[in-house]
Amino acid sequence: MIEHYDPKQHSRNTEYAKDLGTPFPTQAVGAVSVSLEIDGVAITVPEGTSVLRAAALVDINIPKLCATDSLEPFGSCRLCAVQVAGKRGYPAACTTSVAEGMQVTTQNERLAKLRRNVMELYISDHPLDCLTCPANGDCELQDMAGSVGLREVRYGFEGENHLQATIDESNPYFSFDPSKCIVCSRCVRACEEVQGTFALTIDGRGFESKVSAGQADAFMDSDCVSCGACVQACPTATLMEKSVIDHGVPEHSVVTTCAYCGVGCSFEAQMKGDQLVRMVPYKGGDANHGHSCVKGRFAFGYATHPDRLTTPMIRETIDQPWREASWEEAIGFAASRLKAIQAEHGRESIGGITSSRCTNEETYLVQKLIRAAFGNNNTDTCARVCHSPTGYGLKTTLGESAGTQTFDSVMKADAIIVIGANPTDAHPVFGSLMRKRLRQGAKLIVADPRHIDLLKTPHLRDAQHLPLRPGTNVALINALGHVVVTEGLEDKAFVAKRCDTDAYQSWREFIADPRHSPEASEAITGVSAEAVRCAARTYATAGNGAIYYGLGVTEHSQGSTMVMGIANLAMATGNIGREGVGVNPLRGQNNVQGACDMGSFPHELPGYQHVADPVARGRFEAAWGVTLDDEPGLRIPNMFDAALEGSFKALYVQGEDIAQSDPNTQHVEAALRSLDCLIVQDIFLNETAKYAHVLLPGSSFLEKDGTFTNAERRINRVRKVMPPVAGKQDWEVTQDLANALGYPMNYAHPSEIMDEIAGLTPSFAGVSYAKLEEQGSLQWPCNAEYPLGMPTLHEVDFPIGLGRFAITEYVATEERANRRFPLLLTTGRILSQYNVGAQTRRTDNQRWHDEDVLELHPSDAELRGVRDGDWLGITSRAGQTVLRARLSERMQPGVVYTTFHHPGSGANVITTDNSDWATNCPEYKVTAVQVEKVSQPSAWQQRFDAFDQTQRGHLTGARETSGKAATP
Amino acid sequence: MSLHHDAQLVRMVNQIAANLKGGRDDAQAVADICRHLETFWARPMKQSLIAYSEREEAELAPLARRAIQRLSERQIVQKIQADKV
Repeated sequence: MIEHYDPKQHSRNTEYAKDLGTPFPTQAVGAVSVSLEIDGVAITVPEGTSVLRAAALVDINIPKLCATDSLEPFGSCRLCAVQVAGKRGYPAACTTSVAEGMQVTTQNERLAKLRRNVMELYISDHPLDCLTCPANGDCELQDMAGSVGLREVRYGFEGENHLQATIDESNPYFSFDPSKCIVCSRCVRACEEVQGTFALTIDGRGFESKVSAGQADAFMDSDCVSCGACVQACPTATLMEKSVIDHGVPEHSVVTTCAYCGVGCSFEAQMKGDQLVRMVPYKGGDANHGHSCVKGRFAFGYATHPDRLTTPMIRETIDQPWREASWEEAIGFAASRLKAIQAEHGRESIGGITSSRCTNEETYLVQKLIRAAFGNNNTDTCARVCHSPTGYGLKTTLGESAGTQTFDSVMKADAIIVIGANPTDAHPVFGSLMRKRLRQGAKLIVADPRHIDLLKTPHLRDAQHLPLRPGTNVALINALGHVVVTEGLEDKAFVAKRCDTDAYQSWREFIADPRHSPEASEAITGVSAEAVRCAARTYATAGNGAIYYGLGVTEHSQGSTMVMGIANLAMATGNIGREGVGVNPLRGQNNVQGACDMGSFPHELPGYQHVADPVARGRFEAAWGVTLDDEPGLRIPNMFDAALEGSFKALYVQGEDIAQSDPNTQHVEAALRSLDCLIVQDIFLNETAKYAHVLLPGSSFLEKDGTFTNAERRINRVRKVMPPVAGKQDWEVTQDLANALGYPMNYAHPSEIMDEIAGLTPSFAGVSYAKLEEQGSLQWPCNAEYPLGMPTLHEVDFPIGLGRFAITEYVATEERANRRFPLLLTTGRILSQYNVGAQTRRTDNQRWHDEDVLELHPSDAELRGVRDGDWLGITSRAGQTVLRARLSERMQPGVVYTTFHHPGSGANVITTDNSDWATNCPEYKVTAVQVEKVSQPSAWQQRFDAFDQTQRGHLTGARETSGKAATP
Repeated sequence: MSLHHDAQLVRMVNQIAANLKGGRDDAQAVADICRHLETFWARPMKQSLIAYSEREEAELAPLARRAIQRLSERQIVQKIQADKV
């Protein structure tokens, strides 16, 4: 195979490789330039830049300890003291702003002596174990001691000191050794400024000053969310990754993209050979600017977990043990099964599911395999069960199936509405950015049945919570629209210029009807009319109004309607088409946006081109050399229905665990059991794989090249840092399967797949690996008109010309609470676990959340005699499961909540097969249930455990038979 | 075609009709429902639904029924046109 040269593999972008001491002065954007001389070197920088940063830009590196360019200057260590002509004393370069004509001296005898004296004091209370210290070679204190030429410590080491301080090992990923602390406050400031959690503080005064988590708690018992920003900021070995303590300082690093949530953070994968030592968020990453969360930074151990599948496996029926096979045999077996099934049951009897966790190139290839080699459009993706209503709703109203903004846009928002999203848990790095803006004074409106953590943001000035009943989103958004229209809060100029007049008039007439007034909808939503009016006024009049939403919007029977209602509200108030505003879906998985873009949906070719469009289809037919079906194929729930009906017989699933993540588990299990051939490609034996006939080992994001597209349409490079455990990257496996089916694919590298995508997809026309290397990332559309991509959509017009208001009638879900099922269950995620948990459950993130629990309000608990920790049977019309109770005031009475991170919890045994009217996106967020105390697991859980045991046995058996160890 | 499968399709089309009838006259609603089915539904699902509506119509919402009728007619026209080509 041809090896493509990848220049970023072994060198870092120098601009981001260096710590410039203080951040870019954002308040100085558009400000005047200032010219000054530093040690006789002339430099021009924006007003507001610190002397420290200006000097670093011309490679004059002033010694520093408490300053770092991710944090505001603090001026505590006094090491960066300089002299300024005409000024007295020794100002700190970090807190001194540049001025026109300033002449700065950074090095002379007096300054050298001053710095040596400062260092001498630091070192007099610091262990001298540099050679055996885990930070050896990566310690700023050590570097500075060298830099200032410290040769002796006149004070001795016998005086009062902190050298015997106890190490806190409570966090699984990093240790806290206060004996090495120099109290520079970088960790405390990182926790405040970057992460926004305020878990750390400096306890005591003077010599007694100590870094403390909470009220002198252990880190694990404090409010710490283990984002690691403090560890990254620490200039010494005080806060240190345990992986570095264990393995030593990494020797090379590769910039790549995180494979957890839709924020798509850039990381430096810091390596020793092919061993990943630590992940450090990359300062040059445009989505995260050097920040990360506990998942991205620390939870990568799953990639080398003994559970990884390392060999292809096959079996005739699912009650048989697995048999290890060569790649060739397994692929041949799969292909012959698929061909035989099509011969017997017809072309449409098979299909496939692409993965939102795999790369764009891999996803593109799977849908190409289905459309071109299977010869049908039975392709779908996990976006079906999360953001398909976003695609439908935004395309209908704004003409493009994507969020309108960059993440950074939130820093210009004045009023932020968050609907059905929980960014501090599910999109933590963006949640931190949003909190930063809220601390600056932006107003917050949260529409959510639960009191989410964002409402508990420290230093939050003005927050409104609209605690609506699950399932009543559309009634709420209509009430907000009603207030905007009837109180004259519209942006009439925007609407007149940018929106279709007829559609607008129809909507205006519709929404102005008194049945949509907050007073009328109060009885439906449970939110007081006054609160709704206040929220609408805030959003419409604060200046820049931005809406962020998540699966609490889409996963409803009216998910698509709600998305359109959000777009209506943004258009009516003119909050579209510039920074600080917009409609922003927060995507759950790393590449949900990309999977949708790449033509995973059964009705759309890549780039959202409908299969019935003869021109678009013609281009694909010419490039792929086949005739393509011009009618949509089956969506995932339709596939299950067709399987149970008997017309759908085989499925190829790449990197999605439908048996755990899709609703009404027993229905899904029955559908999977009915298949004649299920091919699962995954890194673990997931729940779906237990029903499979062919098991193809997948590769983790660390083992492949490609691209992910995040929630802000940003295409980021994924770079291989270690060889695939089972020898193949996922796109290679799909290619082999295509070839075995007689449809030739011959890509040598994912860049060639991207070139094909660019040739067929207008919004990707300008994307190439070469340009991604050059630019770092690109936000589509990227084409001749916008060669460097488009950060903010719809600035001048909409892809459909004029924006289209949509009528959004509230239609109550069929899923209602009644006497038999009096409570409403809603589901969600937590910070430490990711989706079905396949990755995070195989890391120390388990320490934070090792079981799913049912949260319920104390009054509902009291009514049923339930105490915290009791086992509860939760029954819906779909099924029953048993979880432990957790009493929580976050819930409103009548609403209960759980997560779905652990398969044995069976959260989806109780969710129903109700779905969004337009897209069949499941209604995960509303299930009527009854809850009662029980003493044993549910019947489903007992069956699950038995089946799980058997299937694990089938896998272990195969590994033992082949005589191989179970570890990779 | 199984009873369960038909019931599921009927439920889906009725839901589409309920959501696409607001703010427009019946003729427009019927056209919109029909277009939705054409744009998003797989061929066998549309065929099953048409076959069902020809057998019985009790469970179908009136607008849904008319939309299926329209879908059926348009498919016949398309087929004739395709045959001519």
